[in-house]
Amino acid sequence: MKKSEMKKHSGQIITAIVIIVICIILGLLKPGRETLLSMTSPEMQKMIDADASSTRKRVTVTYNSLFIINYASLSTSGANVMSERYVGFLGKVYQADEGVMKVVGQMVNYTYRMLGVGENLMHGAKLTITLTTLTVLFGVLLGTLLALGKISKKKILSKLSGAYIFFFRGTPLLIQIFVVYFTVPGIFGFAWRDLFNVNDAEAVYKGAFIAALIAFALNSGAYCAEIVRSAIQSIDKGQFEAAKALGMSYGQTMTRIIIPQSIRRMIPNVSNEFIMVLKDASLVFAISLMDITTVSKNIMTSEGSYLVFIPALVIYLVITAFFGFIFDKIEKKFSVYE
Amino acid sequence: MKKKVLALVCSAVMLFGLTACGKEAETVTDTTAPAQESKPAIDISAAKLMSDGVLNVGCEVGYPPFEDFAEDGTTPKGYDVDIITAVADKLGLKVNIINTAWDGIFAGIGVNYDVVCSAVTITPERMETMIFSTPYINNYQAVVLLADDPKEVKSFNDLDGMSIALQKETTSDILMSDYKSTGTIDIQIVANEKVTSCFTQLQNGEVDAVVVDSTVADGYINSSKDFKIVYEDQSEPEQFGIAMAPENTALQAAVNQALKELEEEGFIKETYDYWFGAAAE
Repeated sequence: MKKSEMKKHSGQIITAIVIIVICIILGLLKPGRETLLSMTSPEMQKMIDADASSTRKRVTVTYNSLFIINYASLSTSGANVMSERYVGFLGKVYQADEGVMKVVGQMVNYTYRMLGVGENLMHGAKLTITLTTLTVLFGVLLGTLLALGKISKKKILSKLSGAYIFFFRGTPLLIQIFVVYFTVPGIFGFAWRDLFNVNDAEAVYKGAFIAALIAFALNSGAYCAEIVRSAIQSIDKGQFEAAKALGMSYGQTMTRIIIPQSIRRMIPNVSNEFIMVLKDASLVFAISLMDITTVSKNIMTSEGSYLVFIPALVIYLVITAFFGFIFDKIEKKFSVYE
Repeated sequence: MKKKVLALVCSAVMLFGLTACGKEAETVTDTTAPAQESKPAIDISAAKLMSDGVLNVGCEVGYPPFEDFAEDGTTPKGYDVDIITAVADKLGLKVNIINTAWDGIFAGIGVNYDVVCSAVTITPERMETMIFSTPYINNYQAVVLLADDPKEVKSFNDLDGMSIALQKETTSDILMSDYKSTGTIDIQIVANEKVTSCFTQLQNGEVDAVVVDSTVADGYINSSKDFKIVYEDQSEPEQFGIAMAPENTALQAAVNQALKELEEEGFIKETYDYWFGAAAE
């Protein structure tokens, strides 16, 4: 049993290493930025040269490097629209203005934009992952406190926790985001971006991110509270009694006996909550932030390309697979207590 | 006791529902009344309409002063609403305004509604997939600041280094994104679904400026003392038209005829002054 498991494990590791090595080789073999942009046509080059001395530049140069493949495009605005696209792969540069290479180029560009490479932390997949991870982390902490409050024998504590959970589960997350971002600063006369340095150009996104995180964490706390409470209450009453018989206090019983066991029981539900938040993260569109869904929707409306949703699905699946794996590991680790 | 309260709440809800219905019915009769007294309508027998005697209009209601809900929350009002209602009167039709999200609004032409009248800029790209009426208003891109902001903005280049709020996928967005991506100026673009969010962000101090259609800016300045227009880009004017399905040329001709008559009667000028203020242009 053990042996075959090990064999399966080493097989996985070898495949992973082979894939990584191939990717590194492909990555080293792709043409560089200069090579791609040296393909520029003379007319476009003339526009670029004219831009150098102009206060209203007309040429947009895009360069996306995505591990094993890269993509460059030059396009102009105004009445005479010109555009040139190139894809670099395995030491060669391909024209990507039509046919298969155009689709390949689009895929590279869309994936690049959705991952938010080269953008600030509050953009694309980076935003989705950061927001979700922090939300669930704070959510579980807050949820544990609320759950302990709710099952507490102190009437006031229990009532207050109950009211909190009722409020945040009973109102939509979108409205909670609006309230935190628009209403609260409006009433108290402050701006979220003032939390950051005035000269920080990204302060506006960071401020919105903080507002989003507060709304998400407060909301997730209410849901996690119920997850934690049900996990704690699922532990056999006999254990409480045994701990009491041994002379343990309520605090000791909770931290040493009950909570370690209940962690394993709450992991599947927390994992569920994580995936829910991952998808709910798209609600940040309401306060000018762009997660994967918002970016893909934007590309859809501005370029009319329905292909954009394919890389979006792949990115979501990769994220869920990765975090599913991590939750699996945590669950295995904590199952030793039972 | 509890039961009594419940009954009270129930009856209150029902009453509210009844009044809401009453209001809706009222507005429908309002819009039809002038249609019956108007002179012989423009012939629209060749035009394709989704339903008889009704002009279904797709509109993203939430873009004052072009379209916005009145205080009751259900009646659309605004410049576009007045224009399209007058056009429909000329054609002997009732207006049915269908509130739609801006994303994908054009996909609904010929499916959910006959025309889109929602501050739509006539662009060459859009003309590939739809046809437009003659323009019924001119528009520029304007920069709006808080009224007490001492910054001087004489061109878009002066926006360098600022955080700019604008509505997603509008001309403002396309123009500012182009300024940014070409490297002309370095700005942070804060894109919103609704233009109203942009002004809330400006008021709360989240952003430095709003770039928006001059017509919308005029409307805001008229109704609020908190904002001021500091720059209007006269070099790249835009025109708004009513969008229709490409095969519906008969409807296009009829709408154009109606717009021409309204122009001659001075109705368009009058409506413009009403919504944007006589001093605006």
